[in-house]
This record gives sequence, structure tokens and C-alpha cells, in this order.
Amino acid sequence: MTETLVGLIPQYGAALMFLVTFLSCLALPVPSSLMMLAGGAFAAGGDLSLATVGLSAYGGALSGDQVGFAIGRWGQRHIDALVARYPKRAALIERARAFSERWGGPGVYFSRWLVSPLGPYVNFLAGSARMPWARFTSWDVAGEATWVTLYVGLGFLFADQIGAVADIASNLSGALAAGLVTILIGRVLFRRKKGAAHV
Amino acid sequence: MRKLFHLFRAHPVLTPAFLLAAALTLLFTIRTVVFTIYWSNPAHKNQQIEPWMTPRYVAYSWDLPPEAVARALGLPEPDGPGPRLPRRSLQEISEQTGVPIAEMAARIEAAAESLREQPE
Repeated sequence: MTETLVGLIPQYGAALMFLVTFLSCLALPVPSSLMMLAGGAFAAGGDLSLATVGLSAYGGALSGDQVGFAIGRWGQRHIDALVARYPKRAALIERARAFSERWGGPGVYFSRWLVSPLGPYVNFLAGSARMPWARFTSWDVAGEATWVTLYVGLGFLFADQIGAVADIASNLSGALAAGLVTILIGRVLFRRKKGAAHV
Repeated sequence: MRKLFHLFRAHPVLTPAFLLAAALTLLFTIRTVVFTIYWSNPAHKNQQIEPWMTPRYVAYSWDLPPEAVARALGLPEPDGPGPRLPRRSLQEISEQTGVPIAEMAARIEAAAESLREQPE
């Protein structure tokens, strides 16, 4: 499926780039990083302009993030209802909010590109943790600019080796994201253990 | 092992999640290393002709003049200064002209070979 999608880029350039980055920001399994690399490579060959590829990918990513954030906001009402019913969960949700309050901005920025597999979930979380919209959006605008510039730029510069760049970048990004999740869960596990000993 | 068992009883959801995340981290790290080694081998550097590529992309990545690619793919050379290659994938061109991708790849390799022998 990926190859077919990539083959459609030269013909449906802008619309396809927009759609793919949009969907990937909502946690749908589309090969957005590879598509941006390929878009950059096609721009190097002269099939598309670099501006078309970059701006459409950027527009799709920003729109997708806004929708993800809105879904989080909307889901938040249900979380409030849940808290009312199960007060024990309140502490956990409060902790998630405190975490987002403290790390939210840089968290949004780095989850756009460095640990991009986590990006969609950060959107939902930021929305549901009531992060202020302007704060979310300003970090998001910077983060997606980094993401798009990085991948389209790599595709453009290493157009004749995008297979190599795609293989290395996707696995490295997966390793970083999984590593971060491991550390975060580990922290909760071991902090909880200490807390339990005191009680 | 007993420690792990106790951890599991205390946190039946987080413990497997932690182990899964750790395993994925290891897996992706190994894959990153393997791919880096694979691609740093010069023998793997030449990109094979693939269905998603376009004539212009092939010309760019194989460093061939557009005319040579047009000729190799059996594309009509349009009027005007220099042929303008179609913005289509090789897959689509193959479906239109009936020439299989493997045949296209062979012709492009032949074109690259002959250009290398007698530079214009």
C-alpha cells in the first residue's frame, strides 16, 4: 500500500500530502514520514515544487493536530463525569493535568518530530488536560515546522537514498518513542512502590 | 523473577505495559543499528528501479539526462526545447505502454552503461 501511495504523490501532490499528514496526526496508520521524504525527493527531481510539498504537509499536520486537540477537549467532559462517579481516579487524572501543566509546552514541541509516534496521543491528552489553546498551538506550530522541514529536507537532500533515510529515521524515531514510554511508565511504577510503602 | 512477580501482582496493567515498551525499545534500537549497517554498505547504495518512481526521479537519482530516460522508457519526446518527462509513476507508464517494470529497469541500466562508456 505504501508504494502505491508514494506513486500517487507526483500526480496528487498537494492534496495527498495534506491528507496523509492530517490523518497521521489523528493516530491513523499512514506512512507520513516516508511520504514527506518521498515528496522531498520528487521535488529534487523536479516533479513538484518544494513549497507545494512542504506547505501542504505543514497544513495537513496543523489541521490534524487541531482536530486531535478538539477531540481531547470534547472527551474531557466525559472524563469529568467519570471522576464524579469514581473519585479514586481523580488523583490520577489530577496528576496527568499537573504533568501537562509542567511539561506540556516542550512535550507538544518534541512529540511533533523527535518522538513523533507519540504526537497524536499528546494532542488528545493536551485537549483533555485543558491545556490553553494558544499555548498548545504556538508550540505545535513550531514543532510541526521542525517535523516537516526535517523530513522534506532530508528527502530533498538525500533524494537518491530515501530508502536508507526512511528505514533509519522510522526505526530511530520508534526507538526514541518506545524508550520515552518505558521511562515514563517506569517512573510511575517505582514512585508508586515507594508511596505504597509509606501508606 | 520473584521481584517481577510481585510487581506484576501490584500493577497488573502497568507491569506488562512496561515490559512491552522496553521490548519495543530494544527491537527498534536493533533495527536502527541493522539498517544503518545495511545501508552503509556501498553495494546497497544504488537504488533499484521501483514502480513508484517517476521518470524525472530516475533521471535525477541515476544522474541521467532526461532525453536518455525518455528514450529508455519509450516515451514520446515532446516538441520544444528538451523533452519534458511526464509526472507519472513508472507503474502508470507501464500500464499505459504495456512495458513491464523489469524491462524498463533493464533499459535504464543499459542506457546508464552506454553513457558511462561514451560520455557525450
